[in-house]
Amino acid sequence: MSASGEPRNAAGAAGRTYPPVTFRIEAERAAEFARAIGADPAAGVPPTFAAVYSLGVTAPQLFGDTLAAVDFARLLHAEQEFTWSRHPRPGETVTSQARVASDIRRRGVRFVNFETETKDEAGAVVCRSRALFVIRS
Amino acid sequence: MPVPGAVRDSVLSERSVRFTKEQIAAYAQASGDHNPIHLDDDFARSVGLPGLIAHGMLQMGLMGVVAAEAAGGPDKLTRLYCRFAGMVLPGDTVTFTAEPAGPGKLELRAVNQKGEAVLTKSSADFNQ
Repeated sequence: MSASGEPRNAAGAAGRTYPPVTFRIEAERAAEFARAIGADPAAGVPPTFAAVYSLGVTAPQLFGDTLAAVDFARLLHAEQEFTWSRHPRPGETVTSQARVASDIRRRGVRFVNFETETKDEAGAVVCRSRALFVIRS
Repeated sequence: MPVPGAVRDSVLSERSVRFTKEQIAAYAQASGDHNPIHLDDDFARSVGLPGLIAHGMLQMGLMGVVAAEAAGGPDKLTRLYCRFAGMVLPGDTVTFTAEPAGPGKLELRAVNQKGEAVLTKSSADFNQ
């Protein structure tokens, strides 16, 4: 998977950005997700379906980026934040683009803030995701 | 420290969930996250875990349902934040609660049957 930006050392992936990824929100997929978390499938796309349409489509770009050198086996997902201007509806296609917002090493532990911005077909931002990945040495 | 099972007066919404391998597998299928630490006990132990564990994002999903209820509906949620503090194993029961924390704000908690917080410092914002 290609990424823009100069190649950096293993602890310095800050600033790397990834190509946009589109995802079509299928009604049946959203309903299955709702059932898996005990939400009412008739209440629309659950807010945390962002785990699929936002973080879910961009995190693999980070994990597959050999230059970022994020060791998936030593990684903990420590924090997650989503903010929404609105929740997308079934049938919508959304486009997500991610970047490594910060990459800091402290006492042998690496903290990577991975941010994703998701837009609707009109180009309006519907969701922002921030994942804190903690990677132990 | 909150006593497991006790409901404080200010709790707006609460749900207790007993985690099972089947539910965790269903979340893996629904989310597309098939990391074997969530699906395979032997694999989980081989990387130092006590056995397979629930996805943090499954806990966040369940927390989000409780937050949405407290907010008056999922469409009203504008922000959800969770810090994953503890592992959840099949057989654990986690109680998720939402309490008011100011206008349009919720304080969220998730505590297991031993009184340990599995989510900390978690919160949500909503449109009133």
